[in-house]
Amino acid sequence: MTRGYSGGAAGSDQLAKSEHFTGDMELDLRIVGQCCERHSDARIRELYIGHTDIRAAIVFIESLSDNSEIQNNIIRPLMSDFAERYEGDASYAEGTVSGSFLINKVLSVSEWAAQSRVQEVMSAVLSGSTALLIAGSKEVLVLGTVQGKARSLEEPVSEAVVRGARIGFTELLSDNIAILRQQGICDELSVERFLVGKRVKKELVIAYMEEIANPQLVEEIKRRIAGIDIDMVQESGYVEQLIEDNYLSPFPQLQSTERPDRVMAALMEGRVGILLDGTPFALIAPVTFSMLLQSPEDYAERWISGTLFRLLRLLAAINSLLIPALYISFISFHPGLIPTKLAMSILGTREGVPFSSLVEALIMEVSIEILREAGLRLPKPIGPAMGIVGGLVIGEAAVQAGIVSPILVIVVAVTAISSFAIPQYNAGITLRMLRFIAMFCAAVLGLYGVVLFFLLLCSHMVKLKSFGVPYASPASSIRISDWKDFFIRAPIPFMKSRPKLLHTKNTKRKG
Amino acid sequence: MKDENDYLTPVQVAVVIINTMLGAGILTLPRTTVNAAHTPDVWISIMLGGFIIILLGMVIVRLGLRYRGQTFYQYVSRITGRWIGAFLSAIVILYFMLVASYEVRALSEVTGLYLLEGTPSWAIIMPFLWVGGYLIRGGAGALARLCEVILPITGIIFFLTMFLSFGIFDIHNLRPVLGLGVTPVLKGIEPAILSFIGFETLLVLQAFMKTPEKAAKSVIVGTLIPTAFYVTTVVMVIGALTVDGVVTRTWPTMDLIRSFELSGLIFERFESFLLVIWIMQIYSTFTVTCYASALGIAQLTGRNLKSVINVLLPVIYVLSMAPHSLKELNKLGDVLGLTALCLFGLLPPLLLILSKWKAGKKDGIVS
Repeated sequence: MTRGYSGGAAGSDQLAKSEHFTGDMELDLRIVGQCCERHSDARIRELYIGHTDIRAAIVFIESLSDNSEIQNNIIRPLMSDFAERYEGDASYAEGTVSGSFLINKVLSVSEWAAQSRVQEVMSAVLSGSTALLIAGSKEVLVLGTVQGKARSLEEPVSEAVVRGARIGFTELLSDNIAILRQQGICDELSVERFLVGKRVKKELVIAYMEEIANPQLVEEIKRRIAGIDIDMVQESGYVEQLIEDNYLSPFPQLQSTERPDRVMAALMEGRVGILLDGTPFALIAPVTFSMLLQSPEDYAERWISGTLFRLLRLLAAINSLLIPALYISFISFHPGLIPTKLAMSILGTREGVPFSSLVEALIMEVSIEILREAGLRLPKPIGPAMGIVGGLVIGEAAVQAGIVSPILVIVVAVTAISSFAIPQYNAGITLRMLRFIAMFCAAVLGLYGVVLFFLLLCSHMVKLKSFGVPYASPASSIRISDWKDFFIRAPIPFMKSRPKLLHTKNTKRKG
Repeated sequence: MKDENDYLTPVQVAVVIINTMLGAGILTLPRTTVNAAHTPDVWISIMLGGFIIILLGMVIVRLGLRYRGQTFYQYVSRITGRWIGAFLSAIVILYFMLVASYEVRALSEVTGLYLLEGTPSWAIIMPFLWVGGYLIRGGAGALARLCEVILPITGIIFFLTMFLSFGIFDIHNLRPVLGLGVTPVLKGIEPAILSFIGFETLLVLQAFMKTPEKAAKSVIVGTLIPTAFYVTTVVMVIGALTVDGVVTRTWPTMDLIRSFELSGLIFERFESFLLVIWIMQIYSTFTVTCYASALGIAQLTGRNLKSVINVLLPVIYVLSMAPHSLKELNKLGDVLGLTALCLFGLLPPLLLILSKWKAGKKDGIVS
């Protein structure tokens, strides 16, 4: 509050009811003043337009707006003498100035809107715009002077690639949309805006390809987003959890990514991107199981290496899920099913270990999870040091002390490394969680328990749908053309059609 | 969002048929056929059996085409009238129920023998029933998708383990072809056909197809692939164990895999692989038949499928415990096969003729 102003108690009751600006400068200023009472960084600057005695005022939030733009493109032109030019204008009337004239001929700002509702004007001001009140006009001009605070564009930390674009999303939605549009010139890219959050509103944008995406899918996503009912949406994770199909499932049903190229590739397949203001993580829907093993690099490198990397990741996923369980079941239940020499050497090293293989494996798995979690929280320079200490102490010393067998240390290490080879962070978490369930199944029913666990997992996956698309596709709903981009990554000339499982409007990528 | 994914595609129907056929049969087929035929030529019997099954399947397809979008339980009473229809449905439901419990029992026998010695059979069966029940709550779509996930895994591991046994395979054990003439081959057809039981699920599945005309293709593919599995099994088993060796073994295929070792690989023996895929196949057969019977009860009584499943699973458990010994179980399997052959060999053609005759009569009245 710069201009000393105090509304009387009786006046404020009356003011509280006013929804629209009146055009009476004194009253309007009082309305604005009351609205800005609790915003100490709000500035109200009164002035006279163009060397006349027409009163005007601009309202803005100092910390949110581009102050030099306000100074140069709003205040200075307004206060300069334009009376002569105005007299020739069609909307000329003695003693007033029309908003359209100011916009068209005086103010040099690109974004503007005319508003008469107090609430709308104030929410615009609170997001960084500048409101221009003119005496005698009920319409208030809202001028775009937003200056967001953003960091510069950086390489995405969570999804690094060797080959591929180095740019990642930032926290500013407008920047993110710009990055997305800069992926290439395309007039089909639809960007639809929503406001989510009941108390604190945030901008959310869904992006899709008009001519490709299945309209039913887009409608469904819009419907779910419109149904979001929460005070504030802090991160895109909130959106994810509010619109996903099954909150009990361990599987991520929307893909989150920091990579614009990943979003763009998904859009080209007919999927829909969801971008939220204030987070660098965009969401992609619908998700299928196959996407969890894919990385943008698969397509950047040649198809042979792409395919091999895919198979490697599949192996890593299976390792990460089942190896400790298989260890337990073979050691405790069926030592006869593994080669005799191997069985002998494993059982030999286990001599003196006081625990059952389940407890032994649990001790190691839990400590490695703790180690990983701790490494995540530590400052960067300390992280590796702790890895060495933890690895050495827990690995070496635990074996020396005879608490666990050395074979188990190998098993746990392979499992942990495998789980980090999954390109999707949240898919890796899923596998790690399920690993413990698999271990318990193995401890109860041996190999049979592991098979049952696998069948249960498959049963869950085939029942699960992500926005109407079966999660297990393309492993289920076999279509040969979809298998070209599953475990193998076919040469690009052969990938002629988009994934059929999405039922896109346009099915051909080429030809 | 009800969409394309809720219909079954022809491929899915074919895959479900394959998965239903491949069940307990893989492990016992060499014994049952050789027992009947006493010749190494049983692989010819199996091919002929597959051919007969395709013909029988075609009849069901024709029948289903007359009543689009309806399961057997729904259209049978339209053909025969309400009471006979309900009776026939009840028989089919009971049949599916018995097949489901037979598979479960076979599972507990084999698992108890090779994997979990001394584990009580309820501990093996109950979690299995529970997992299966969880799946079939998802309906036919989920069932079909599961079969699609399982089949490639089964195929790869099965053929891999079978061809690994090439070391002890001896072609002389299969010679001479048709050395004993054609008659024993014909005798082998009957047990061969029994292992193809599973095509009857089409009575239920065809209702879920968007294009039921293509079910014919599904039947052909769905029978030819199991034929390939079975012929491979029989050829490899007889080639390695000889005709006389096969007859004396309860689970000859398991014995084949157990009887060779390969050094140099991580695993020297591969029975665990075969057991794993076999359990998966039992699972798919069980869930499909259990679903077919649950759906029948649900449609006959107008109750919710999920509550029917809750009641059905304990019943199947009790039924699976009924046979006292492995011998009785095998007998049950034979009886079931014969029932299926009579039921689904004779009933669909009769119904088809009846339905055509009825339609013809109606036309006569109209004109």
